[in-house]
Amino acid sequence: MLKIYLIIIASLLTPYSANAALDPEMIVVCYPGGSVNVKDANGAMSSMLRVVERVGQWQENSFNSLFTNKSDECRKQLAEKNPKFAITSLGLYLELRTQHNLVPVVQPKIKGSASERYRVMVQKDKYKSLDELKGKTLGGTVLEEPSFIGKIVFAGKYDIASFFDLKTSTQAIRALRSLDKGELDAVILNEQQFSGLASLHLDTPLETIFTSDEIPLMGVVANTAITTAEERARFGKALEGMCTDSEGKKLCELFGVESFVPVDAKVFEPMVKLWAEGK
Amino acid sequence: MLAFLVGCTELQRDHVQFDQLSDCPKQTVTTLIAKQSQLGPLSDTHTLACALTILRDTQDPAVRRTSLGSRLCLQLAERETNQEKREKLATEGVGFAEAALAQGGSDDGAVHYYLATNLGLAVREHIILATENLGRLEAEMKRAVALNPDIDDGGPLRILGMLYLKAPAWPNGIGDRDKAQELLEKAVKEHPGHPLNHLFYAQVLWDKGDEAILTQVKSEFALGEQLLTEGNWGYSKEPWKKEFAAFQQELGETDAAN
Repeated sequence: MLKIYLIIIASLLTPYSANAALDPEMIVVCYPGGSVNVKDANGAMSSMLRVVERVGQWQENSFNSLFTNKSDECRKQLAEKNPKFAITSLGLYLELRTQHNLVPVVQPKIKGSASERYRVMVQKDKYKSLDELKGKTLGGTVLEEPSFIGKIVFAGKYDIASFFDLKTSTQAIRALRSLDKGELDAVILNEQQFSGLASLHLDTPLETIFTSDEIPLMGVVANTAITTAEERARFGKALEGMCTDSEGKKLCELFGVESFVPVDAKVFEPMVKLWAEGK
Repeated sequence: MLAFLVGCTELQRDHVQFDQLSDCPKQTVTTLIAKQSQLGPLSDTHTLACALTILRDTQDPAVRRTSLGSRLCLQLAERETNQEKREKLATEGVGFAEAALAQGGSDDGAVHYYLATNLGLAVREHIILATENLGRLEAEMKRAVALNPDIDDGGPLRILGMLYLKAPAWPNGIGDRDKAQELLEKAVKEHPGHPLNHLFYAQVLWDKGDEAILTQVKSEFALGEQLLTEGNWGYSKEPWKKEFAAFQQELGETDAAN
């Protein structure tokens, strides 16, 4: 679902200059670890942006997007393009917030919640605790951001690069099949992937050996050095109205996003603290 | 127009009207059926339009239960450069296939194959429609694979493979690269003479992001390109050339980046 709401959010970013169509507002969209084809993602976002332009009565092609599923590329693009708004993972936000003066603007709400938990799955009865996984293989798409997993998901309790033998995957289903066959010892899943487990037909029963604390879902961030409070508020308002707009509602339903909600800055404070303290 | 492109939530069912139908040869449904194997990528557009016009006017169940109408629509749609007309032709092809199923053609793999290919062409530019129809596309193409995987040089294997490669992956959608690779590998092995089988296999290998198989990716691409250049693929040649060129650009960009 992350990919989907990232695309929705990308479509709603607002231009603030009168000649926007001549100089489109670049939106950098970062989706580390995603299996999305960059060309397809940019194509989808382009379609969405055209909807927003029509609905918001902005000039066609006022917006442009730049999508990447690589963390390094995201850092580079944020530095080079210096966008007013961006869509990042929580890990990239925590890493780059000071450097780019980033603040969260809106969060998506999915299945009634604006937060999620991560889980480590193993074959049933094979391991009794996370400590038994020391030196064992851990797979998953979210491992594209190892610092985030170590500092936030495991709350700094494990130096995951030395504790596990990490096997990053671009596809959750492939990692789970490897777990099913015993080629991996464990797989780490986000909420959406965990919720989808029931639809998979694996031969070996799995069980959860670790569940993280609640972690806020990430949406849009703004650079406070180059946006005004009014711009950020206007943008937040536009997103909040997205899922009640007749056209936007269809997209929200299609992608499983209930609504976009204003950010309560306090939600992110524990994350910032963990990031600063974590290893 | 913009509202149509993005806000479209259902298929456009009205037909494309053809010009110069008075020039069509005198033929009946019976004569058309007798020479249906001659109608294909090598036929000129006027000939296909004339044939389709005859099929539009027939209610003969024996004709309606075949895949011919759907196949003609696909061939016309694939060479149509105007998006709105292309989608209307593809939608008409879906209608022909639906009629064929209703007339008892459900055991004909070609009916399911052309239903799915037309449907894919009709919805691919519309994010909502495309997502809503993914399940139907998969079901129809799986049925085609089960009934007649060899039609159109492994078309059902090739298209289902690409559907699994391009669709949003689990848990968001039906996309599954493992299944895609299995199907496209089979298409190449069993139908090595079709250029797209090699191009699509190269794409699924490329998607793995494994530098170790880059040589194999390039080799499959080159083989497909050679088959395309040397073969007589009629009106299919130009659109396929564009598909090869697009992938070649992707390969080139990565080579340059490295």
